[in-house]
Amino acid sequence: MELEENSPKQNYTEAEKQTIFHGEFMPHINSMYNFAYRLTLDADDAKDLLQDTYLKAYRFIESFQKGTNAKAWLFRILKNSFINDYRKKSKEPSKVDYQEVESYYNSEEVDRQITPDLRVEALKDMIGDEISNALNALDVDFRTVIILCDLEGFKYEEMAKILDIPIGTVRSRLHRARNLLKEKLSEYAKQMGYKTA
Amino acid sequence: MSNPDPSKMKQDCPEKNECLKMLQLILDGEATSEQKDHFLKNHLEECMPCYKNYHLEVAIRQLLKTKCCQDAPQELVDDIKTKVINNLAR
Repeated sequence: MELEENSPKQNYTEAEKQTIFHGEFMPHINSMYNFAYRLTLDADDAKDLLQDTYLKAYRFIESFQKGTNAKAWLFRILKNSFINDYRKKSKEPSKVDYQEVESYYNSEEVDRQITPDLRVEALKDMIGDEISNALNALDVDFRTVIILCDLEGFKYEEMAKILDIPIGTVRSRLHRARNLLKEKLSEYAKQMGYKTA
Repeated sequence: MSNPDPSKMKQDCPEKNECLKMLQLILDGEATSEQKDHFLKNHLEECMPCYKNYHLEVAIRQLLKTKCCQDAPQELVDDIKTKVINNLAR
Protein backbone atom coordinates (compact mmCIF):
# COMPACT_ATOMS: atom_id res chain seq x y z
CA MET A 1 0.00 0.00 0.00
CA GLU A 2 2.89 2.29 0.48
CA LEU A 3 3.66 2.90 -3.14
CA GLU A 4 1.34 4.63 -5.53
CA GLU A 5 -1.14 1.80 -5.76
CA ASN A 6 -3.16 3.31 -8.59
CA SER A 7 -0.33 4.47 -10.79
CA PRO A 8 0.20 2.24 -13.81
CA LYS A 9 3.29 0.10 -13.69
CA GLN A 10 6.03 1.37 -15.96
CA ASN A 11 8.28 -0.71 -18.11
CA TYR A 12 11.81 0.52 -17.81
CA THR A 13 14.95 -0.93 -19.33
CA GLU A 14 17.91 -1.49 -17.00
CA ALA A 15 19.54 1.63 -18.44
CA GLU A 16 16.43 3.70 -17.78
CA LYS A 17 16.26 2.41 -14.24
CA GLN A 18 19.82 3.51 -13.66
CA THR A 19 19.16 6.92 -15.15
CA ILE A 20 16.13 7.41 -12.92
CA PHE A 21 17.89 6.16 -9.84
CA HIS A 22 20.96 8.29 -10.26
CA GLY A 23 19.31 11.25 -11.94
CA GLU A 24 16.07 11.54 -9.97
CA PHE A 25 16.48 9.66 -6.69
CA MET A 26 20.07 10.26 -5.62
CA PRO A 27 19.90 14.08 -5.80
CA HIS A 28 17.50 14.00 -2.83
CA ILE A 29 19.74 11.90 -0.62
CA ASN A 30 20.76 14.71 1.74
CA SER A 31 17.19 15.81 2.33
CA MET A 32 16.19 12.20 2.79
CA TYR A 33 18.97 11.58 5.29
CA ASN A 34 17.98 14.63 7.25
CA PHE A 35 14.37 13.47 7.32
CA ALA A 36 15.43 10.00 8.47
CA TYR A 37 17.64 11.46 11.14
CA ARG A 38 14.99 13.84 12.43
CA LEU A 39 12.44 11.04 12.58
CA THR A 40 14.58 8.44 14.32
CA LEU A 41 16.82 10.85 16.27
CA ASP A 42 19.55 8.27 16.00
CA ALA A 43 22.40 8.23 13.49
CA ASP A 44 22.47 4.42 13.12
CA ASP A 45 18.72 4.10 12.70
CA ALA A 46 18.79 6.97 10.22
CA LYS A 47 21.41 5.12 8.16
CA ASP A 48 19.39 1.92 8.12
CA LEU A 49 16.17 3.73 7.33
CA LEU A 50 17.76 5.63 4.48
CA GLN A 51 19.33 2.53 3.04
CA ASP A 52 16.10 0.53 3.29
CA THR A 53 14.21 3.33 1.64
CA TYR A 54 16.58 3.65 -1.30
CA LEU A 55 16.70 -0.08 -1.87
CA LYS A 56 12.91 -0.17 -1.71
CA ALA A 57 12.67 2.74 -4.11
CA TYR A 58 14.88 0.88 -6.52
CA ARG A 59 12.96 -2.36 -6.13
CA PHE A 60 9.66 -0.58 -6.84
CA ILE A 61 11.05 1.77 -9.44
CA GLU A 62 8.42 0.72 -11.94
CA SER A 63 5.73 2.25 -9.75
CA PHE A 64 7.46 5.56 -10.22
CA GLN A 65 6.32 7.56 -13.20
CA LYS A 66 9.05 9.54 -14.89
CA GLY A 67 8.39 13.26 -14.74
CA THR A 68 6.38 13.10 -11.52
CA ASN A 69 7.65 14.39 -8.21
CA ALA A 70 10.44 12.01 -7.22
CA LYS A 71 11.17 13.79 -3.97
CA ALA A 72 7.59 13.47 -2.71
CA TRP A 73 7.51 9.83 -3.83
CA LEU A 74 10.71 9.07 -1.91
CA PHE A 75 9.63 10.95 1.20
CA ARG A 76 6.41 8.95 1.27
CA ILE A 77 8.29 5.66 1.15
CA LEU A 78 10.63 6.80 3.89
CA LYS A 79 7.83 7.97 6.13
CA ASN A 80 5.93 4.69 5.67
CA SER A 81 9.04 2.63 6.36
CA PHE A 82 9.59 4.63 9.49
CA ILE A 83 6.07 3.99 10.72
CA ASN A 84 6.17 0.29 9.87
CA ASP A 85 9.68 -0.62 10.92
CA TYR A 86 11.06 1.96 13.30
CA ARG A 87 8.33 3.65 15.19
CA LYS A 88 7.51 0.50 17.12
CA LYS A 89 11.05 -0.21 18.19
CA SER A 90 11.94 3.42 18.58
CA LYS A 91 13.77 4.40 21.71
CA GLU A 92 11.37 7.20 22.36
CA PRO A 93 9.10 6.57 25.31
CA SER A 94 5.68 5.54 24.15
CA LYS A 95 3.76 8.59 23.24
CA VAL A 96 0.33 9.63 24.27
CA ASP A 97 -2.31 8.71 21.79
CA TYR A 98 -1.85 11.02 18.88
CA GLN A 99 -5.53 11.69 18.31
CA GLU A 100 -5.74 12.91 21.85
CA VAL A 101 -2.84 15.24 21.38
CA GLU A 102 -4.24 16.58 18.18
CA SER A 103 -7.73 17.22 19.47
CA TYR A 104 -6.23 18.91 22.49
CA TYR A 105 -4.14 21.20 20.41
CA ASN A 106 -6.95 21.81 18.00
CA SER A 107 -9.18 23.29 20.63
CA GLU A 108 -9.50 27.05 20.46
CA GLU A 109 -8.81 27.16 24.18
CA VAL A 110 -5.22 26.30 23.62
CA ASP A 111 -4.83 28.93 20.96
CA ARG A 112 -5.66 31.58 23.47
CA GLN A 113 -3.28 30.13 26.04
CA ILE A 114 -0.40 29.72 23.67
CA THR A 115 0.80 33.18 22.89
CA PRO A 116 4.48 32.50 22.62
CA ASP A 117 6.07 35.81 23.43
CA LEU A 118 9.21 35.32 21.56
CA ARG A 119 11.28 38.05 20.03
CA VAL A 120 13.41 38.10 16.96
CA GLU A 121 16.37 39.40 18.98
CA ALA A 122 16.28 36.28 21.15
CA LEU A 123 16.29 34.07 18.06
CA LYS A 124 19.33 35.86 16.70
CA ASP A 125 21.26 34.76 19.77
CA MET A 126 20.33 31.12 19.31
CA ILE A 127 23.51 30.23 17.56
CA GLY A 128 23.87 26.76 19.05
CA ASP A 129 21.60 23.73 19.01
CA GLU A 130 18.57 25.44 20.53
CA ILE A 131 16.38 25.32 17.45
CA SER A 132 17.47 21.80 16.59
CA ASN A 133 16.72 20.59 20.12
CA ALA A 134 13.39 22.40 20.11
CA LEU A 135 12.43 20.71 16.86
CA ASN A 136 13.56 17.29 18.07
CA ALA A 137 11.57 17.70 21.28
CA LEU A 138 8.28 17.95 19.39
CA ASP A 139 6.07 14.92 19.04
CA VAL A 140 7.07 13.15 15.83
CA ASP A 141 3.88 14.07 13.94
CA PHE A 142 4.37 17.75 14.66
CA ARG A 143 8.07 17.49 13.91
CA THR A 144 7.31 15.88 10.57
CA VAL A 145 5.11 18.67 9.21
CA ILE A 146 7.69 21.30 10.09
CA ILE A 147 10.42 19.33 8.35
CA LEU A 148 8.33 18.81 5.23
CA CYS A 149 7.15 22.38 5.01
CA ASP A 150 9.84 24.61 6.44
CA LEU A 151 12.95 22.59 5.68
CA GLU A 152 11.94 20.88 2.46
CA GLY A 153 9.46 23.34 1.02
CA PHE A 154 6.73 20.84 0.16
CA LYS A 155 3.33 22.28 -0.72
CA TYR A 156 0.35 21.39 1.46
CA GLU A 157 -1.02 19.16 -1.27
CA GLU A 158 2.22 17.21 -1.51
CA MET A 159 2.37 16.89 2.26
CA ALA A 160 -1.18 15.55 2.31
CA LYS A 161 -0.09 12.81 -0.12
CA ILE A 162 3.12 12.01 1.71
CA LEU A 163 1.34 11.72 5.05
CA ASP A 164 -2.00 10.33 3.83
CA ILE A 165 -3.99 13.01 5.61
CA PRO A 166 -6.41 15.68 4.34
CA ILE A 167 -5.05 19.12 3.44
CA GLY A 168 -7.08 20.71 6.25
CA THR A 169 -5.26 18.50 8.74
CA VAL A 170 -1.91 19.46 7.23
CA ARG A 171 -2.75 23.11 7.73
CA SER A 172 -3.98 22.81 11.30
CA ARG A 173 -1.20 20.42 12.32
CA LEU A 174 1.38 22.85 10.97
CA HIS A 175 -0.18 25.71 12.87
CA ARG A 176 -0.09 23.72 16.13
CA ALA A 177 3.41 22.50 15.45
CA ARG A 178 4.67 26.04 14.99
CA ASN A 179 3.01 27.20 18.17
CA LEU A 180 4.63 24.34 20.06
CA LEU A 181 8.00 25.11 18.53
CA LYS A 182 7.69 28.74 19.55
CA GLU A 183 6.77 27.66 23.05
CA LYS A 184 9.96 25.63 23.30
CA LEU A 185 12.00 28.46 21.85
CA SER A 186 10.59 30.94 24.32
CA GLU A 187 11.59 28.60 27.13
CA TYR A 188 15.14 28.74 25.82
CA ALA A 189 14.90 32.50 25.43
CA LYS A 190 13.90 32.78 29.07
CA GLN A 191 16.83 30.63 30.11
CA MET A 192 19.08 32.89 28.07
CA GLY A 193 17.86 35.81 30.11
CA TYR A 194 15.43 37.33 27.66
CA LYS A 195 12.34 38.73 29.20
CA THR A 196 9.27 37.84 27.25
CA ALA A 197 7.66 40.80 25.62
CA MET B 1 7.52 45.87 2.80
CA SER B 2 8.55 49.33 3.97
CA ASN B 3 9.39 50.27 7.51
CA PRO B 4 6.16 51.44 9.08
CA ASP B 5 6.07 54.10 11.76
CA PRO B 6 5.47 52.26 15.06
CA SER B 7 3.72 55.21 16.67
CA LYS B 8 0.97 55.05 14.08
CA MET B 9 0.41 51.33 14.43
CA LYS B 10 -2.29 49.49 16.34
CA GLN B 11 -0.80 47.91 19.45
CA ASP B 12 -3.40 45.21 19.68
CA CYS B 13 -4.98 42.93 17.11
CA PRO B 14 -8.39 41.41 17.80
CA GLU B 15 -7.81 38.87 15.04
CA LYS B 16 -4.29 37.96 16.06
CA ASN B 17 -4.70 34.22 15.79
CA GLU B 18 -6.56 34.33 12.49
CA CYS B 19 -3.91 36.71 11.22
CA LEU B 20 -1.17 34.33 12.24
CA LYS B 21 -2.85 31.57 10.25
CA MET B 22 -3.04 33.87 7.23
CA LEU B 23 0.58 34.86 7.68
CA GLN B 24 1.65 31.24 7.66
CA LEU B 25 -0.43 30.56 4.58
CA ILE B 26 1.32 33.44 2.84
CA LEU B 27 4.81 32.39 3.91
CA ASP B 28 4.08 28.81 2.89
CA GLY B 29 3.19 30.05 -0.57
CA GLU B 30 -0.38 28.79 -0.23
CA ALA B 31 -2.31 32.07 -0.16
CA THR B 32 -4.05 33.60 -3.17
CA SER B 33 -2.60 36.85 -4.50
CA GLU B 34 -5.64 38.77 -3.21
CA GLN B 35 -5.13 37.39 0.30
CA LYS B 36 -1.48 38.24 0.08
CA ASP B 37 -2.01 41.77 -1.19
CA HIS B 38 -4.65 42.54 1.34
CA PHE B 39 -2.70 41.25 4.27
CA LEU B 40 0.77 42.45 3.43
CA LYS B 41 -0.22 45.83 2.06
CA ASN B 42 -3.14 46.76 4.26
CA HIS B 43 -2.96 44.95 7.52
CA LEU B 44 0.67 44.38 8.33
CA GLU B 45 1.77 47.99 8.02
CA GLU B 46 -0.71 49.19 10.58
CA CYS B 47 -0.77 46.35 13.11
CA MET B 48 2.16 45.98 15.49
CA PRO B 49 1.46 42.45 16.83
CA CYS B 50 1.09 41.05 13.32
CA TYR B 51 4.09 42.97 12.08
CA LYS B 52 6.14 41.42 14.87
CA ASN B 53 4.70 38.00 14.16
CA TYR B 54 5.66 38.30 10.54
CA HIS B 55 9.30 38.92 11.37
CA LEU B 56 9.30 36.17 13.95
CA GLU B 57 7.89 33.64 11.50
CA VAL B 58 10.50 34.60 8.93
CA ALA B 59 13.32 34.41 11.48
CA ILE B 60 12.25 30.96 12.69
CA ARG B 61 12.14 29.62 9.17
CA GLN B 62 15.62 30.95 8.49
CA LEU B 63 16.95 29.50 11.70
CA LEU B 64 15.42 26.11 10.91
CA LYS B 65 17.01 26.10 7.48
CA THR B 66 20.45 27.03 8.69
CA LYS B 67 20.50 24.85 11.82
CA CYS B 68 18.45 21.77 11.12
CA CYS B 69 19.76 20.41 7.83
CA GLN B 70 22.41 17.73 7.88
CA ASP B 71 23.95 16.11 4.85
CA ALA B 72 24.17 12.36 4.55
CA PRO B 73 27.62 10.93 5.39
CA GLN B 74 29.50 10.33 2.14
CA GLU B 75 30.28 6.69 2.97
CA LEU B 76 26.58 6.02 3.38
CA VAL B 77 25.85 7.58 0.00
CA ASP B 78 28.58 5.45 -1.60
CA ASP B 79 27.31 2.39 0.18
CA ILE B 80 23.79 2.87 -1.13
CA LYS B 81 25.07 3.40 -4.66
CA THR B 82 27.17 0.23 -4.48
CA LYS B 83 24.27 -1.82 -3.16
CA VAL B 84 22.02 -0.68 -5.96
CA ILE B 85 24.67 -1.27 -8.61
CA ASN B 86 25.14 -4.81 -7.28
CA ASN B 87 21.41 -5.19 -7.45
CA LEU B 88 21.45 -4.05 -11.05
CA ALA B 89 24.18 -6.52 -11.93
CA ARG B 90 22.21 -9.48 -10.69
